[in-house]
Amino acid sequence: MSSLSRCVLLSLLAACLSGCRSSANPLPAAAGGAPVGSPPQSAVSVNSILDRTNPLGRDPVSLEDGRRLFLWYNCYACHGPHGGGAIGPSLRDRVWRYGGSDAQIFASIAEGRPKGMPTWGRRIPEVQIWELVSYIRSLNTPNEPDPPQEPASEASGDTKVLTSASPASPHSAAGRQ
Amino acid sequence: MNRIARLGCRSLLLCLLVASGAIVAEQNPGSSAAPGKSATSSTPGALPDIHLVAPVSDGQWTIPAGDDGNTRYSALDQINTSNVRSLHVVRVLSTGVFRGHEGAPLVVGDTLYVVTPFPDRLIALNLTKPGLPVKWTFDPHPDPAAVGKAFRGVVDRGAVYADGRIIYNTLDAFTIAVDAKTGKLAWKTRIGDVANGETLTMAPAVVHNIVFVGNSGGNFGVRGALTALDAATGKILWKAYSTGPDSDVRIGSDFKPFYAKDRGTDLGVATWSPEQWQRGGAAVAGWISYDPELNLIYYGTGNPAAWNPDARPGDNKWSVTLWARNPETGMARWAWQIEPHDAFGYGAVMENILVDMPWDGRMRKLLIHPGSAGFVFVMDRETGQLLSASPFVPVTWARGFNLASGEPILNRAKLPRFGIYANQVCPSMAGAKAIASSSFSPQTGYLYIPAQNTCMDVKDTTANYIAGTPYLGAIVRMYRGPGDYQGELIAWDVAHAKEVWSIRDDAFPVDSGVLTTAGGLVFYGTMDGSFRAVDGRTGKVLWQFKTPSGIVGEPMTFAGPHGKQYVAVYSAIGGWMGSADFPDISSDDPYAAHGAAGAMRGIKTATHPGDFLYVFAE
Repeated sequence: MSSLSRCVLLSLLAACLSGCRSSANPLPAAAGGAPVGSPPQSAVSVNSILDRTNPLGRDPVSLEDGRRLFLWYNCYACHGPHGGGAIGPSLRDRVWRYGGSDAQIFASIAEGRPKGMPTWGRRIPEVQIWELVSYIRSLNTPNEPDPPQEPASEASGDTKVLTSASPASPHSAAGRQ
Repeated sequence: MNRIARLGCRSLLLCLLVASGAIVAEQNPGSSAAPGKSATSSTPGALPDIHLVAPVSDGQWTIPAGDDGNTRYSALDQINTSNVRSLHVVRVLSTGVFRGHEGAPLVVGDTLYVVTPFPDRLIALNLTKPGLPVKWTFDPHPDPAAVGKAFRGVVDRGAVYADGRIIYNTLDAFTIAVDAKTGKLAWKTRIGDVANGETLTMAPAVVHNIVFVGNSGGNFGVRGALTALDAATGKILWKAYSTGPDSDVRIGSDFKPFYAKDRGTDLGVATWSPEQWQRGGAAVAGWISYDPELNLIYYGTGNPAAWNPDARPGDNKWSVTLWARNPETGMARWAWQIEPHDAFGYGAVMENILVDMPWDGRMRKLLIHPGSAGFVFVMDRETGQLLSASPFVPVTWARGFNLASGEPILNRAKLPRFGIYANQVCPSMAGAKAIASSSFSPQTGYLYIPAQNTCMDVKDTTANYIAGTPYLGAIVRMYRGPGDYQGELIAWDVAHAKEVWSIRDDAFPVDSGVLTTAGGLVFYGTMDGSFRAVDGRTGKVLWQFKTPSGIVGEPMTFAGPHGKQYVAVYSAIGGWMGSADFPDISSDDPYAAHGAAGAMRGIKTATHPGDFLYVFAE
C-alpha cells in the first residue's frame, strides 16, 4: 500500500470516527444465517501494517463494533464467546503465541496461522480487522464491552427435573402422558 | 474362538499362539446357554439368559470396543474381586502428546498398539519382552490445520485390526492402514476436506474386510457421512450421508423404519429449509457395533448444524438418529430419529450395545443406547422399536418419550430463544455422558454408565455459516447439575430400567470409558486421574491408583503372550470438558471452552495434562 493510499485510508477512518461513529460496521444487526458478504474492495497488505498501531485507538464505539464482529465472523466459536479459548487459544490471558501488539494481532487475523486460524485479510475490510484488534485488546480490562457474566442459575419456567428415580415402570414410557 | 475364526487365522503367528494355548481361549465356558432361544454365543461368566453377539473370548483386543456388540466385557478373570488389591503398575508409556487420549489401545498377538491424539502417532509395544519396550513408531504427519477444526479436542479414539494391518484415522481426514508387523504404511485414503472443518476422530470398525469410517465436524456444518472402504486397498466402496436425498443416504426398498414419523421420501431434504441439509452436520463421530447374525451395523448421527435451531426449520433428518445398515451395501434397514429439530446440541453418536436378553417375558435382541440427551434407550434392534426410555441423570429438556410415536415430550420452557437464556437446561450441550463408552456385564445384567450431571444456560445468537469456522449460533454456560455432584459411575439394571448403585464425584464429570470383566470387576477412571476397580455387584471400590492426569480413555484388558492378564488405560485429560485443564483455556471466563471452564472449576489444581499409557498386572 502506498503512503498516499495509507494516508487516504487514515483520513477516511478519521472522518468516519469523527462524523459517522458507528457506520464502520456495515453489517446488518443480527441478521439470521446469511453467509459472509461479497469480498471487500481492497485486500490488506500485511507488510504495511507491521509497524503500525491501531488507528482506532481505544475508541469505545470501535470496541462495541469489534465485539459484534467477533460474534459475526465466528471468532467466538473458536476462541470462546468472550475470548477465553475453546478450539483456539484464550485471548483473555497475557499469553500470545504470535505476539500481542496491535500490529501482531492484526497480522494473525489478516494472515491466518498454521493450526487452523483462517486467513481473513482478503475476506474482510481492514477497518473491521482493526475493530477486532480493539476488542481483543480490551478483553479482561475495564473497557471490555459485554464482559462474561457468571451463570445466574436462577430458576426459570418449569424446572421439574426427571431423575433416574422418576420412571414408574421400565416397560412403559418414562413420563408418558 | 469367535474372533480368531473371524480373523481367519491369516496370521501364522496368531494361529500358533492359539494352537499353543498362549492366548487364553474361553477358559470358562461353563455357564450354559438358555436353550434354543438365540444363536448368539454363550459367554463365560454370563447369566444364563443373557447372550452377547460376539464376546471377547481369546484374550486379545483387536477392535475398538473389544467386541462387536460394544459391551466392553472381557471373559478374562485372572484379575478378580479377590485379588485386585494387588494390582500394580508394570509399564508407563509417555507418548509425547499432552492432549486428551481417548479410546483404548489394541492388543493383537504379542503386540500392543497405541494411537495418540494429533499428530496421530501409532506406537507398537512388544509384549514378549520385560518392560514392554517400544517396537516401532509410525508418524503419519497430518496437516496441522486440522488442530483448529477439532471441536471436542484433537482426540483419536483408536484403531482397528484387520488382515495384518492396523487401520485408524488421522485428524486431517485420512484413513490409513499400517502393517501390523513392520509399521510401514500400506494405504492412505482421503475421506474429507479439513479446510471445511471435516476431521476424523472416531475409531473405525471392520466387518467382512470392509472398514467403516464416520466423520467429525458436525459443529462446522459439514455433511455427516459414513464411508465404507476396502480393507485390502483403502478404496472407497460406498458413502452413506446423514442428510440429503434417499440415494445419498442409501435408503431403498429395504428401509423399514418402525415409526411413521421416520417414513417418507427424501426426508433428508424435505425436513430442512432449502439447501440447509448440505451443511446440516449430523456427523458420525462415535462408535459402530455389529450383529453378525442379523448382519447389520449400528451407529448414530450427531447434532444438526447450526446449534441455533432457527437457522434450520424442520425436523432436520437424519440428525440425532440411530441407524441399522447392511454392511456390504450400506443400505439402511431402519432408522429412528431420537430428537427432531434439536435445540440443545444432543447427538446420538454414543455406543450402541447389543445384547440378547429377556424383555417383557421373552428373549429379544436389544440395542441399548445411553445417550447424550440423558436417557437410556432400549430398542429392538431387529425392528427399530423403542422399548424403554428412562433418564439416567437429571433431565429437564423433556418429560419423557412417547413409546407409541417414538417422539420426545418436550419441556418447551427449556427451549432457547434469540438473545434470551433458557436456564437450567439439563443435561448440558456436552451431554449426559461423553463419547467414552459404557460397559455391559452379562454377569450382572447391568450397564455401567460414565455420566455427566452438568446443566446449562443457553441462548441463541446469529448463526453465520463461514466455511472452515464452527457453525454455532448459540452461547452456552455450564455448571454442576442438581444434587451438588457432577460426575457419576452408574450401575444400571437394564431389565428393570433403574439405577442399582452409583459412585458420585462431587467436582467433575466422569468422562472415562468403562470395562467389565468376568472377574466381577468394573474398571473406570475419574477426571482427576484415579483409576478404579469396583465390585460390579455392590459398587464397592476395591482398588484405586492415582494417575498423574485425568482419565478420558477407555480401559481395556488382555492376556499377554504367557497367558497373564493385564489391564491398560490412558491417563491424559482432554475432550470437551477436559479441555478446561489446558493452559490456553482461561479459567476465569466461565464461557471458555463453550462452558466447560465454568463447569470444571478447580480442574487446573486437581490434575494436569498428561500423555500416559498405564499398564497394570496382578
